[in-house]
Amino acid sequence: MSGGVISKEKAEPNLTPLLDIVFQLITFFMLVINFASDNYDQRINLPDAGSARPVEDDSRIAEDRLVLNVDSEGRLLQGDEAQGIDQAVQTIRHQADLVKLGLKASGVKFDPAAAGLPTTIILRADKETTFGSVLGIIKACQAQGFRKFALKAMIRS
Amino acid sequence: MEGPDVPVAPMLDMAFQLLTFFVLTYRAAPVEGQFVMNLLPPQPATAMAAAPADAAASNELPATLRTLPVVLRADDAGRLVQVNVADVDVSNDPAALQEELDRHLQDPDSPFDQTLIKVDPNLRYAELMTVIDAFTNAFIKAKKEPKLSFDELRGDEGG
Repeated sequence: MSGGVISKEKAEPNLTPLLDIVFQLITFFMLVINFASDNYDQRINLPDAGSARPVEDDSRIAEDRLVLNVDSEGRLLQGDEAQGIDQAVQTIRHQADLVKLGLKASGVKFDPAAAGLPTTIILRADKETTFGSVLGIIKACQAQGFRKFALKAMIRS
Repeated sequence: MEGPDVPVAPMLDMAFQLLTFFVLTYRAAPVEGQFVMNLLPPQPATAMAAAPADAAASNELPATLRTLPVVLRADDAGRLVQVNVADVDVSNDPAALQEELDRHLQDPDSPFDQTLIKVDPNLRYAELMTVIDAFTNAFIKAKKEPKLSFDELRGDEGG
């Protein structure tokens, strides 16, 4: 009489190394996920330009920066609000006042006629907008003492 | 002698769920670049942008002679229809523009080390960027620091 031996032992693979790998993958994705996308408004379709400098490689950009998003209608985007040129001028003036207050508080002397504000304006304008609209924003910035500009574009591959 | 038997499988299930979440929500950051430039105030832009103080000190030529004048005209739809470089009409084909800019900037006898671009306000930003791109390329090829400035082209200005 043949009788099979049924083992009552359960297979217990060691899952710890697998768990280690999975945690490493989770850590990787958590680190590379783009949390700082608030400034990069997805409604803006940037123009293409092959010779634009990669952002991280450009050491000339000061740490102090102000991001301005201009949509295809030439309006300045502030959160969910799209501002016309008059409102945009007020927003830029307000931002410039904040920068000047910050400079004053830190004891930095500001001479608008000489060097301008140290803040770099990061201009993200939609490719469908007109130069006139962009120039309106640039002039408003210049009137408040901003001199440094970075015009954003997508780097063509 | 055996240690406590901690069940790892539920933790692994959770870890896989977290991993799935991050894999699905992961979105590669767009590769953005930028053109960095100093733009001076509107009123004296044509004169001052063309004549940075340090450049003026290092070069005896007046700023107006060192500035390559460029005019960009657009049609009603905002497309680039006319490019004028140093009073010469150039095809708005990017390759032709690049060739013309190389001719001006790479010539060792050429006095130009900066440019002033007068732009039709109706021109689409994407079209302007192609021109800025061409200029930046030409300056880099000529081993010069790109110095660009802009002004608004008025209707009564010739080109």
